[in-house]
Amino acid sequence: MTSETLWYANRATGAVCLVLFTVVVLLGIAVRLRGKIPGLPRFGTVSLHRTLSLSATAFLALHIAFAVIDSYVGISVLDVLVPFASDYQPIWLGLGTVALDLMLAVLVTSLLRARIGHRTWRAVHWLAYVSWPVALVHGIGIGTDSGTDWMTWLTVSCVAAVVAAFGIRVAHSARAARRTPAALLRTAEGARP
Amino acid sequence: MTATVSDLHMSPRLLAPGGAPADLTTHEQRYGPLPYGDPAALLRAVAESGLTGRGGAAFPAHRKLAAVAEAGRRTGRAPVVVANGAESEPASRKDRTLLALSPHLVLDGLQVAARAVGAAAAYLAVEEGASYLESALAHRRDPVAVQVVRLPKRFLAGQSSALARFVGGGAALPAHQNPPVRERGVGKAPTLVQNVETLAHLALVARYGAHWFRTAGTPAQPGSALCTVHVPGYELRVVEAPFGMPLGRIVPVDGMSAVLLGGYHGAWIPAAEAAQLPLDATTTGAGVLAALPADRCGLAETARVLRYLALQSAGQCGPCLNGLPRIAAAFQTLAAPGPQGTDRADIARWAGLVEGRGACHHPDGTVRLVRSALTTFTPELDAHARGLCTATDRTPLLPVPQEH
Repeated sequence: MTSETLWYANRATGAVCLVLFTVVVLLGIAVRLRGKIPGLPRFGTVSLHRTLSLSATAFLALHIAFAVIDSYVGISVLDVLVPFASDYQPIWLGLGTVALDLMLAVLVTSLLRARIGHRTWRAVHWLAYVSWPVALVHGIGIGTDSGTDWMTWLTVSCVAAVVAAFGIRVAHSARAARRTPAALLRTAEGARP
Repeated sequence: MTATVSDLHMSPRLLAPGGAPADLTTHEQRYGPLPYGDPAALLRAVAESGLTGRGGAAFPAHRKLAAVAEAGRRTGRAPVVVANGAESEPASRKDRTLLALSPHLVLDGLQVAARAVGAAAAYLAVEEGASYLESALAHRRDPVAVQVVRLPKRFLAGQSSALARFVGGGAALPAHQNPPVRERGVGKAPTLVQNVETLAHLALVARYGAHWFRTAGTPAQPGSALCTVHVPGYELRVVEAPFGMPLGRIVPVDGMSAVLLGGYHGAWIPAAEAAQLPLDATTTGAGVLAALPADRCGLAETARVLRYLALQSAGQCGPCLNGLPRIAAAFQTLAAPGPQGTDRADIARWAGLVEGRGACHHPDGTVRLVRSALTTFTPELDAHARGLCTATDRTPLLPVPQEH
């Protein structure tokens, strides 16, 4: 494979990763809100979230593999896991590495979920909300397509979707925290003369 | 009316006579030394005695002991024993009275239970009187160290999984039933949670054997139980009565319209019917018997209790969190004379929707009280619908803790 082919492949998988991880985050929020995807049974949301996150991980593996194989940019296997250590674009690449490490923590705890217990799994799963924006910034900073129209629109729509979903998620938790027996009793009594 | 109490011709087994707290010397003089038999013989004796839990569920004590001992062997973890003195039921006083009068009998039972299941740690969980119990513990030389735990004043704090969670350092909230506390409770170790009265009986079974235990009560339900008796106009009393005794001999029914049997998760029974019923472990719950005089409104009393129960929901399970406040608010409407709309039908429907759908039995117990009130007080309900209330005295009767 020529360096140019690898460069194209790397950009393509990067963009696919952006889209897939965005969908995975949206589905994750949908699972938490007990949302239903049209055309799927309710448990389909969870299945889809899990399956797509594995597909996204596969694309991420390809994305990293192409970057390491490509000799035009000198990225070693060590640079993949240790952030800010590479000679090539240390900051932007480092952010990608950070995102990968967080993602691996989320992935490994999810695979071992039955073993480590719900509480630990849940605590680590929150890291997904950190991993996604860090990966996004990595893409904007290092991507050679940044600034092109299609990439700008893709990024803007992904950010808009995740910000909106996250807002709904936060509003939902705030509402749930206010639903105490005392508050509900006041409401029920208030509705009567 | 005090005659009903002295009428119980059975010398009390648990409560120190004379109503004075028994210190260790008095306790040892009265009951003799505590023999620690081998665990297998102890479990056999408990099985033969037919002792059941006195916390309200009347679960056979030997089955729980055997299950915890088994879980300990299987997992290789030393079990934990928790003496449940929470008594979060506002109408009950028997555990507090027992702990105040005969603390060493409960502590003996705790050691016997620890011995039977091979426990390495023991706890005594109470809402109040913790320092008194700590000083009682300081006088003893127990093989298993006991730690006194102070519980928050919440209705559900005494639920076994909530108790195990709290003792383990978590919130005093009921947990999912799977895995059960007997498999995985305090610090993930198999945990025996046993009511303090059950432990006191256990200490006596270990001393005097199963045959002695069965000399009180009926063949099907041997032994005796502590009852908290509420009669308006009289001081609240804790009495010990053998199973099978007619309730009419424990609580006076003359001039009464109904009896609340089993506390706030129990049921209202018409007074005439209650007088004939025997003291039964499956209906008496944790032993609360409250008489309702004919000049009081049972609906108003029930509405106050339901409001309290709704506020005491842990708020963890949707049916309980959403259902109990609605039921309580609708019942409030029924408790006042005036138009009832669809409230009776609504309550019956909601009761069916919340029953059996909680991690703990809080919704189930609440529904039991609601249904029994709707049945027992049907004539009163009809009077309220016509805008009348037959009660002349509307001062609150049943104890309900103040809202914070």
